[in-house]
Amino acid sequence: MPAPAHVSALPYGGPGSVSPVESIHEDTTAKWFMLSAISYFFVVGIVALTIAAKFVWPQLLGTVSVLTYGRLRPLHVNGMLFGWLLAADMGLAYYFVPRLCGVKLWSEKLGVATAIIWNIIVLGAVVMLPMGLNKGWEYAELPSVLSALVVVAWVCFGINVFATVATRKYEQMYVSLWYTMGTILWTTFVYATGNIAVFFTTGVNQANLNWMYVHNAVGLIFTPIGLAIAYYFIPKASSTPLYSHKLSMVGFWALAFVYVWTGAHHMLHGPISQWLQTIAITFSLMLLIPVWTVVYNFFATMRGQWYQLRENVPLKFLMSGVVFYLLTCFQGPMHSLRSVNAIVSKTDWIPGHAHMALLGCFSFFAIAGCFYTIPRLFRTELHSIPLANWSFWFFMIGGLGFFVTLWLGGFWQGWQWNNPSIPFIDTVRALKPVWTVRFFSGILMFLGITTFLYNIWATVIDSQGKARSAAAVVNA
Amino acid sequence: MLGKTDKSAVGFVVAALIFFFIGGLLTTVVPPLVDKSWSQPFENHDPAKGPTGKLVPLNAQQLQGRAIYVREGCWYCHTQQTRTLLADTKRSGWKGVDSPISTPDEFVYDSPHMFGTKRTGPDLSRVGGKYDTQWHRTHFRNPRDLTPGSVMPPFPWIVDNPDEFNALVAYIQTLGRCKDWRPDNDYER
Repeated sequence: MPAPAHVSALPYGGPGSVSPVESIHEDTTAKWFMLSAISYFFVVGIVALTIAAKFVWPQLLGTVSVLTYGRLRPLHVNGMLFGWLLAADMGLAYYFVPRLCGVKLWSEKLGVATAIIWNIIVLGAVVMLPMGLNKGWEYAELPSVLSALVVVAWVCFGINVFATVATRKYEQMYVSLWYTMGTILWTTFVYATGNIAVFFTTGVNQANLNWMYVHNAVGLIFTPIGLAIAYYFIPKASSTPLYSHKLSMVGFWALAFVYVWTGAHHMLHGPISQWLQTIAITFSLMLLIPVWTVVYNFFATMRGQWYQLRENVPLKFLMSGVVFYLLTCFQGPMHSLRSVNAIVSKTDWIPGHAHMALLGCFSFFAIAGCFYTIPRLFRTELHSIPLANWSFWFFMIGGLGFFVTLWLGGFWQGWQWNNPSIPFIDTVRALKPVWTVRFFSGILMFLGITTFLYNIWATVIDSQGKARSAAAVVNA
Repeated sequence: MLGKTDKSAVGFVVAALIFFFIGGLLTTVVPPLVDKSWSQPFENHDPAKGPTGKLVPLNAQQLQGRAIYVREGCWYCHTQQTRTLLADTKRSGWKGVDSPISTPDEFVYDSPHMFGTKRTGPDLSRVGGKYDTQWHRTHFRNPRDLTPGSVMPPFPWIVDNPDEFNALVAYIQTLGRCKDWRPDNDYER
């Protein structure tokens, strides 16, 4: 079954062309969210590079308490998750939800207010996390005052999206809408588990809730909103209808059912009930079902269209992201096997895996979305397509350098740990070359971020200049 | 049923929440009800059943030290779990004696839990009592003075603050001590 008619009926027109349908959208909220997200991507990128450098030069900035590794790492993680990726994803949702519903966003005012709250949260994190105000749970480090604001902003986002869906003109909902609505519903409970319920528990019980949250922050927040973006922009960027609507439903409902069971796989071999570990392993393997149906759908959509990857920058990011998604979601279930876990768990393999998911896959989707939408939002053309190509290759080569060296290094480290005759410090020394390569790959990735930021802002500034000169012509 | 969720937003919401809550409740709310060891503090007086000992809550100074451990993000690089892997019990061991594995009943007073996910430095689940205060002072001032090749950051602002330093060391000395398993050669004695 092909994609619903309204998806392909929406204007494909080249950059700058504005159809009557397109002109009903104000998109102020989308612009705010995307532009601030891209700016935080750059700022937090500096933090990322700093902590990577600390592995190579452990004395670096070492006497300054606010710049020590343990204070900057939560800023890196939360800054990238909430400041960049989730903000960019929300910005893109504010763009495509009204378009898939055929109506204006329910309330631009509420949307802009949400964007302001979101910026307060991120700036608050930039100040508070280096001060050591850390709740002490992974991914839930933000002080309670900020996580309360996250809840407020999330509810505002939810109200806006659901109210837009409720007033929609098209009866049938495209798969991107389900994923966005699913994200909003599940995140509410997942976030509450990781940031509120944990206060009422201790020890292993608390760890179980924490890892339910950590796992589902990726599985039920970044995965569904990321797939919503991919499902919208892959057909759009390639001007090709989605291969199968039915298959997209299988993938969606399988994800909805399977993901939430797997949190305990973060504690395999650890002090948590064996039966719960086995349940987590079983469901981790079942994750292959939603992943492979989604990836098949995207690949089948591209059948006969692969030549477009030569010229089309958003499509390059999108389809590379799909390949990284396939790989990262093959690794995940494999890590959950007890025998593999005994080697890779707690090693440097894991950051390699996590970065492939959040940078290689979901950030690639978000970058593609920004490259696609920003010129359209500002009724202009992208500042420089060659520069966007440079961004792609910086991210790709830097990313692969990062992932692959950490996998090799992590696997090696795991084997060394399993031989207790090797002193621990020797397993640290062995990784020095790996961390050096990671740092230089990080520089490449940071160049990708910098060129991306420059390209987007230059596009925005170009458009303002053009608007002014157009106004001058009219007035003359 | 699912065909309808395609057209009805209300049907969609109901189905999405049902799918989520089946797994959500069965893996978070049910396990602590089934497994009492998650909430029962460790206590054993019978050597035949394994290491003896009793878990007691931390005192005020140790809790202050724990808060410093949380604040400085020590837990990003140090796990606190001796897993059911032979190598873990050897690495957490001491003077040729293997450490017992970590069990849920050793952690019932912990909040936030400090199990950790990444092991850049060694696991600390059984580190209590292994190194004396002077060792920790030198090590926190510059880890590479004692362990060449270490990538741990220096913590001069803790060493220079006796109140914080003593609290942190007091906390570290409690780690893994509720099980009495180590050979009798404490630095503390």
